[in-house]
Amino acid sequence: MTTNQKFSLNQEVVQGKNNIVSEMGEEKVMLSIENGKYYNLGEIGGEIWDLMQEPIKGDQVVSILMSKYDVEQTECEEHVISFLNQLNEESLIEIVANAMQWSTN
Amino acid sequence: MKKNWQKPELEVLDV
Repeated sequence: MTTNQKFSLNQEVVQGKNNIVSEMGEEKVMLSIENGKYYNLGEIGGEIWDLMQEPIKGDQVVSILMSKYDVEQTECEEHVISFLNQLNEESLIEIVANAMQWSTN
Repeated sequence: MKKNWQKPELEVLDV
């Protein structure tokens, strides 16, 4: 696992360890024990965080969000990638691996 | 009915 690469939608991500998460109204706030910083994930950010309890591919996150929110796919993809890169830069998530690519012979 | 979308942002709180 690594926490310092740029994220793309065909990769799996999972919540990092050593974070304490709390609800604040409809938003989600978090304390990173590792770096001592507090974060506000916001409402949709909190929803994305919940989706990452188990390893999940970025494009699955986008699909789930598109089923619940009124947003175009391109916009949703850009925003999810941007948000996950923010989390990754703060070492709050772990990028598990590239998705396996199948080929037919 | 789908909810309104807002760009998710990570806010670092000054605590």
